[in-house]
Amino acid sequence: MLRASSKLNKSGIDIKAVVDGNVDSMIPAGPSLASFAEALVSRNSNLERLRSNLVDEVGEQGMIEAAGTAANFQRMVRIADAIGIPLDDRSLSAADALIEELDIKTFHSASNTYRFD
Amino acid sequence: MYFDYQNTGVGVPDRFADAHQRAWTRLASPGMWWTSAEKIDIAAETRNAENVRDEYRNSLSPSMADPPQKVSLTLDESIVEAIYRITTDPARLSRDWFNTLIERGVKDTHYVELVSVVTTVLSIDDFHRGIGIELEDLPTPIKGDPLRRRPTGARDEGSWVNTVPPAQLDPVDDDIYGGRDSAPNVIRALSLVPPEVRALEDMHEAQYLTYAEMGEFVNLDRSLSRAQIEFVAAKVSVANECFY
Repeated sequence: MLRASSKLNKSGIDIKAVVDGNVDSMIPAGPSLASFAEALVSRNSNLERLRSNLVDEVGEQGMIEAAGTAANFQRMVRIADAIGIPLDDRSLSAADALIEELDIKTFHSASNTYRFD
Repeated sequence: MYFDYQNTGVGVPDRFADAHQRAWTRLASPGMWWTSAEKIDIAAETRNAENVRDEYRNSLSPSMADPPQKVSLTLDESIVEAIYRITTDPARLSRDWFNTLIERGVKDTHYVELVSVVTTVLSIDDFHRGIGIELEDLPTPIKGDPLRRRPTGARDEGSWVNTVPPAQLDPVDDDIYGGRDSAPNVIRALSLVPPEVRALEDMHEAQYLTYAEMGEFVNLDRSLSRAQIEFVAAKVSVANECFY
């Protein structure tokens, strides 16, 4: 979805920023969004400060949107991993290049989702 | 009244309160396989799992982590362990672990409904943590018996549990994929308990995007751009090491 958004908006987003914090995503407020999402997932004690920083950049409604999205995906990742769902057939053709680009074969859940030959 | 966000000092749009109230009503009601009291116990254990979160995630093997003192009197150890594992360390769940759970007597139907309850509570709690407000009190259980209906079209589609393809839905469930003739695996995941697919989509549309919005990449009428929303989603997935 991120890649599709980047292409359709011709925004030049660097998708490697998803896995590498040193890469500039080219997304407005990207570092603040990333820090906020990661702090929420990891229960980081700096969450309050990072929330405040995010509000400064995207406003309160933007922060709420980010919290809703993060909360939703906290759910979706657990459903995917707890049910052991495979990748969708229509995703398989695009998966190889993306897996290579993001270097995510080492994720524990990869063996459940992406049934390597 | 649950989820009275107007008194929190944070301008939460009504769609969140509406969806969270519906989720709490479902949580308080008898499920397809669990009683309402058992569902509330599952919710309480989901919150209790936060006490051992780091221990589970940092253990060399998740089976080596010491479980916390359980708060539930009704749920057996296998169920409570599943709740802790799903809540704290989902990336290290495995088919072997799931098979062991089934061998210990956990029914696939109960497991699917449990996954839905755990992830619903965690998601709403994390929304509260995200915007910096207290967690909502758990609801009072409503008496009644589980419906205990297994969909006839459930089959092995490659997941650990059987799922229901769109063409095999029972008439009573034919709305769960919105009438579409295809559904991604993450939506089919809970289809062994069809009402949980409706519940998933209800929360998904409030907290993330509606189906109509999912096809909108350029002119999304939200406070964040589509790229910003997807970046947050991707960051959460990576932080959880979720390959899917």
